Amino acid sequence: MPPAALTDSHQASDAALAARLACGDAGALDPLYRRHRSSIYRFALLWSGATAVAADVAQDVFVHLLTHAADFDATRGPLQPWLLGIARNFVRRRAGVQAREDGEPPDELALPPHDRTAPPPDDALAASRDVARLRLAITALPPHYRDVLVLVELAERSYAETAAICGCELNTVRSRLSRARGLLARALDLDHEPAAQARTGKGSP
Amino acid sequence: MNAPLSALDQRFAALRASLADAAPPPATDHAIATAVARAGRRGVGSARFAAHPAVRRHGWIAWPLALAAAVTVISFVTRALAPNATPDAPPRHAAAAPASFMPVVPLAELERAGDALVVPARLPRMSLAQFGLPVNPALAADAIDTELLVRSDGAVLAVRFVD
Repeated sequence: MPPAALTDSHQASDAALAARLACGDAGALDPLYRRHRSSIYRFALLWSGATAVAADVAQDVFVHLLTHAADFDATRGPLQPWLLGIARNFVRRRAGVQAREDGEPPDELALPPHDRTAPPPDDALAASRDVARLRLAITALPPHYRDVLVLVELAERSYAETAAICGCELNTVRSRLSRARGLLARALDLDHEPAAQARTGKGSP
Repeated sequence: MNAPLSALDQRFAALRASLADAAPPPATDHAIATAVARAGRRGVGSARFAAHPAVRRHGWIAWPLALAAAVTVISFVTRALAPNATPDAPPRHAAAAPASFMPVVPLAELERAGDALVVPARLPRMSLAQFGLPVNPALAADAIDTELLVRSDGAVLAVRFVD
């Protein structure tokens, strides 16, 4: 049987560990970091498109958790969406995004032109290029569209969680996601993508 | 029946799969481990306003103290500015031998305090217990005279019990 302290740290709920952290037990950060570091890093990487920014944001998020764990209220939801909200703030701050985004969305994303004359690559190379082009297109999305697209489609958070993280209404999440998908589809020459595809299984009512 | 995945959804799935093993670099792991070790030596969480061990255990007392200090400062200033004020009146507890101040903030912050004021305040006698001092249960409901060391912005830096 493992020692009690080890068992406690690695089996304790996020809320219990956050509470211990808030009481001054810095050691509670380690299991929380191991549990959530990849999700936070991936979110920041997809949002920013840069590994260095993603690493910095991941570090910022967990240092913030270390010193502000008392701000987490377990009665309002799980820890990971709260951490993603913090990551969103940090990554947007690094990108110099303003809090208000009232501007009209662009009709097209500014991507380098796709070379249609190049010979068709093999399947693996083509798939790799498609993924790289998708990542590039995501980073070209307006920030508020990028938030919901990365959270819903790639971080696989529910609409409700995404609304809470972004501080907006559920219908706003739906409309931004629909617009983001439309922009991506056009940028990636996937124009047959339905503009407002009904999504299921994301916890939306 | 599930609808077939669109081409865009297929690309999302491929992107998710390509990043399934993505994790922060070892330098980030090291930075977090260092931050944990440093915080473990210093104490975290309540560090925003607790250094005294008693306050760290009972952090809630700082807010009542701050409120009491703010009210006391206002009444103190109001009385001092009143036309019939008697500025030469001796302090109420000049005869009492005051105990030493007990910090409620980190000592480094005390050293940086600059122009701090000593402000008299009456607190519940039970607040003695928060500082590890004995409380007579028969008098627990009474108030006790204290002096608060208050920074110019109203933050309470230290407290002492004067009777």
